[in-house]
Amino acid sequence: MERKGLRGNECNSPKGGDLSPHASKGDLELVSAIVVQGKSGVLEDRHERLAASLSLADLEIRRVYLIETEDELSHEEQTALAARFADPVLETAAPLAFNDSQSPADTDGRREVWIAYKRGVVDNENDSILRMCDFLGIRASAGKVATVYRSHDPQLTARITERLFNPNIEELQTEFHPIDSLKPLGTYLPVQQRPLSGLNDAELEQLGRAEGRNLNLRQMRQIREIEKRTGVVTTEVLLEALDARWSDHCSHTTWTALGNLLGRLIDASTATANQNIVSMFKDNAGIWDFYEGYGIAFKAETHNGPSAISAYFGQLTKLGGVLRDILGAGLGADPVGVFEYTATGLPTQSSASPNRPAPRQIADETIRAVREYGNTFGVPMMWSRMAFHPSYRAKPFALGGSIGLIPLERAAKGEPRRGDLLILIGGLTGNDGIHGASASSAGAVMDGTAVQIGSPLEEVKFRAAIIDLREAGCLRAVTDIGGAGLNSAVGEIGDPVGVWLNCALVPLKTAGLPLWRILLSESQERMVLAVIPERLAQAKEILARHHVRQALVGKFTGLGHYTVVYDPNAGEAVIESTAPDALPMNGEIGIDAPYELIDYDPEPIPVVPPTPTRPKTTSWPTFTNEQLVALMPRILCDTEVADQHSADSQYDSSVQGRRTAGPYEGARKPIHTGYWAAQLLADRPYAALFTAVFAPHLFEIDPRLALRQCFAAAVGTLVLAGSKRRDIALCDNFYTPHLSDGWAFHLVGMVDELAALVRTFGTPVISGKDSSAGSVRTDEGLIHVPPAVFFSAIGKTASFNALLRNEWTRKGSLLVRIGVSCPSSAATVAGRLLEMNANDVDAIDVDRHIRFLDALERMDRGPLRSGVQLGAGGVLSTLARGSIASGLGVELAGDLGAVDLLAEHRAGALVEIAPDALSSLPTAFDARIVGRLVGDGPSIRLNGSELLSAAAQSAWHTAFSEGLR
Amino acid sequence: MKPRVNIVYFPGTNCHRETIAAFTKVGANARLVFAEDACDGKDRIDDADVVCLPGGFSYGDHIRGGMVAAALLSLGLASQLEACKQKPLLCICNGFQIGVKAGFFGQGVTLAVNASGTFLHRTSQRHIVPEDHGTLWLAGLERQTLTFPCAHGEGRFFFTERRGWHPALRYPSAENPDGSLEDIAGITDSTGRIFGLMDHPERAQHRDLNLTIFENGVKAVAA
Repeated sequence: MERKGLRGNECNSPKGGDLSPHASKGDLELVSAIVVQGKSGVLEDRHERLAASLSLADLEIRRVYLIETEDELSHEEQTALAARFADPVLETAAPLAFNDSQSPADTDGRREVWIAYKRGVVDNENDSILRMCDFLGIRASAGKVATVYRSHDPQLTARITERLFNPNIEELQTEFHPIDSLKPLGTYLPVQQRPLSGLNDAELEQLGRAEGRNLNLRQMRQIREIEKRTGVVTTEVLLEALDARWSDHCSHTTWTALGNLLGRLIDASTATANQNIVSMFKDNAGIWDFYEGYGIAFKAETHNGPSAISAYFGQLTKLGGVLRDILGAGLGADPVGVFEYTATGLPTQSSASPNRPAPRQIADETIRAVREYGNTFGVPMMWSRMAFHPSYRAKPFALGGSIGLIPLERAAKGEPRRGDLLILIGGLTGNDGIHGASASSAGAVMDGTAVQIGSPLEEVKFRAAIIDLREAGCLRAVTDIGGAGLNSAVGEIGDPVGVWLNCALVPLKTAGLPLWRILLSESQERMVLAVIPERLAQAKEILARHHVRQALVGKFTGLGHYTVVYDPNAGEAVIESTAPDALPMNGEIGIDAPYELIDYDPEPIPVVPPTPTRPKTTSWPTFTNEQLVALMPRILCDTEVADQHSADSQYDSSVQGRRTAGPYEGARKPIHTGYWAAQLLADRPYAALFTAVFAPHLFEIDPRLALRQCFAAAVGTLVLAGSKRRDIALCDNFYTPHLSDGWAFHLVGMVDELAALVRTFGTPVISGKDSSAGSVRTDEGLIHVPPAVFFSAIGKTASFNALLRNEWTRKGSLLVRIGVSCPSSAATVAGRLLEMNANDVDAIDVDRHIRFLDALERMDRGPLRSGVQLGAGGVLSTLARGSIASGLGVELAGDLGAVDLLAEHRAGALVEIAPDALSSLPTAFDARIVGRLVGDGPSIRLNGSELLSAAAQSAWHTAFSEGLR
Repeated sequence: MKPRVNIVYFPGTNCHRETIAAFTKVGANARLVFAEDACDGKDRIDDADVVCLPGGFSYGDHIRGGMVAAALLSLGLASQLEACKQKPLLCICNGFQIGVKAGFFGQGVTLAVNASGTFLHRTSQRHIVPEDHGTLWLAGLERQTLTFPCAHGEGRFFFTERRGWHPALRYPSAENPDGSLEDIAGITDSTGRIFGLMDHPERAQHRDLNLTIFENGVKAVAA
């Protein structure tokens, strides 16, 4: 019988060289298969929906569990195992014999398509399948799940390939093949030397760009200098390590080259002298003072490149990554909330590059990934939103963020000491996401990257362990492993004390990984700990108790060197017993360099203004009631306004059981609120608040003024809710193009604008990330994202009960717009729909806005019954959502024009007040009456015309989900 | 002495903290027991007066929700599990899935993937307690409407036979979130000691009626 493997990941194929302990086994183990299929006619509606969407009327779907065992299983064992993989009420299960003639395709003449992860991708269900075997006394070593689609339709393969197959991570077969191994195989290749002395500039440049690296000539010259000064011949490991270390992801290289942009933000935030700052831009997350000795860790990051390749795994790992940032803040914060934002192309657009998912697939996979990671991890969703914009068609904006709670006494960034032990915990290391960090730098395009694979269960396990380790006093420091893998994590945690890392001790899932791949692998769900030597036994016990995989892989040396070796003979006992400055250097030496030599000062990037564009101001037209009636459903269908409940309702927002305001409220229909708040400390009155603001259409026109509006909106939202502007902190996530006209000018302009706002408001930025790789080469040419920044904001207030809620409370109230007006039509939903094409983005008067916020902070909140920040779709969309949520109607004032209804006034708010309270509002509010609440169901009436028809309500409710259908 | 409650959790369980808080609030001496520890002989799941299997994603919901954890209990801790079944036993969400897969309610019931085909979260899901609920956990709540979050992807109650269980909680017909047969939101075993439900009363402790469920379990053994 022929024994073929599922097509393997070519990267894992052995390329020759000596065998090492990671070499593949010659004696292949045995792979059994269990076929699970639904009982005919029982609860098949989701399969029926899929069949309908694929136009495959007779579609049948089976799961096949592939299990690699150490011994051949008897039929009885296979049958016992099969019974554990199916629900007996709904399904049948049976072993599948490895005999080509028994392929299921032969039984009823249906065609088949098998889809499973490539051999280089370890299935997330692997550990659970092995545990199940364990319970039955079966010794298994690997497990994987394949999905089999079956139909008589000749279009089966084409439709499955188009809709359900991702060639970057999966393999597809149209007939059944026996499998010889499920485990990624390979042969260890020894470290390759790459001597740089004697190379001319052209040769240096070529080597810097070779094999997927992104090192420029200036960087290669510095590496040659390192070789000269240390006398150690350069290796591929050093090249790869520095390629990653000098990337935007690890070193903010582009920002440094533009004139220390991060330093400008830090200086501005420091100048606020805000006493709430506990930690800012020096740890995995910023930390903000909360109450009673606790702080809030706060971080957001993006996974744009990986999400362009596989939105499912890219988005899965963005949440996993940012949750690890929280776990790695101080000595370990406990995540208490997540948020997410994704912008991709229009759902009707095709993919901009071959083998890349189209926007609709990205949207679908995003929802699935966010649901699976966040829900499984057990952290509530605070805020989520998706946007469709043509500029994100080639590379989405995939942002995830989290907040966590930490005792202030554990909030300082840990600093390893000489002799501390380096322990790697969590998932196995494989061939995932190589070059992910360097691909995020300016100058690179996305090609050649491999996506990371996420497994939330692994992270759930070490979440509990880290908190226990923290409380037991075992940790000197902790950090997560993300972009650039161990290289970044160990390199950073070892700076400046010095660290010795033995990659031969790293537990692998891909046999035969060479040293540089072990070092650079972006395999997920891993962290490194600096453990106090006297607490090693206790730390090991805690980790074992939580079933967390652990390996002692190195030691902090006190020598100030970053040292990476591959030495199978220097195991845990050697590390424990050897003095920190005498660790063995007998194996292969990948890197051994003092930290000061591997710091990089990039060449300045010139800041060139863009080609000037002529300002265009377009006045709002005067609308008849009939025109407004016709416009209303179009506004409500816009993605920035439309109900995204079909996605949001898939995210668990109540886990952990805290009392919250948002993310949805509404007596009649829950709708997305403008902010989220929670009582973070059990039975204490304090509230933590959160909001986020992003407006790609606005940034597309005028990045600097757009930033000002978004900043004002973020701070304004939380002040309106009940926080004070000095109790609010921001996280910035810049995502900018690097090849567009004037990109550097826009980026520097935005940073300087932000720094100025931080100083003026006293509201610091305490965390953030910059991605400068928003230009993508496609077959259609370059596609650029708008130069933009996403703001997320946290705040605090002493009384949860005093929060001003979004939802309208009672009929008879007056609705009043307050705050600075933004009358322009530029980038508004209505302006876009009416193709007005104005580009005069409103320049908010900052002083006036601060006077408004101060008045809000100081006023007696008694007259305010509810309040909501204005934004996309203007007053009209805010009224529509408020009416749908509460079931209250609105009788509009008769003198309202387009500026009142359709301009988006992002710095202002719509508040509900008692009918006689108008005169009590501060003059700084610039209050303007919008209308009055009436009690006759969802309705917006203007001079006798109904603007919020049933059809408009329905359009708002269904536009998003139908767009993805 | 306060009644002892064991909250039994698995790798991937994520609602055990709010569950222990709910039991503590109603006067129990509640503690967490890691099932894998019990499997290793380092702890016991049955050394308490009341037992609870909380919600979450045990073993990542791999294979099907609750399948791996049910195998651990049935194959690795069979005698301790039998002892637990003689006590008031509350199964919430994933704990309910585990209970169903482990046969607490007979062989003819299951929890399938929601009719929508995906996970659904609702903050204020309503539940009606029937007059004849038949379980100690809902004593005194007859005809009440309880409001607490719904958050699950595999909660569609389905049965092929009516032996070994009894409906104890229903969704209002128009608000059935997952397509559960006969709007059944929770069931009890034939003794009334074991109660399983998909939704999460432990997440809405600010509503006193929800805490009554936990209080009933504790009172049943304190009496």
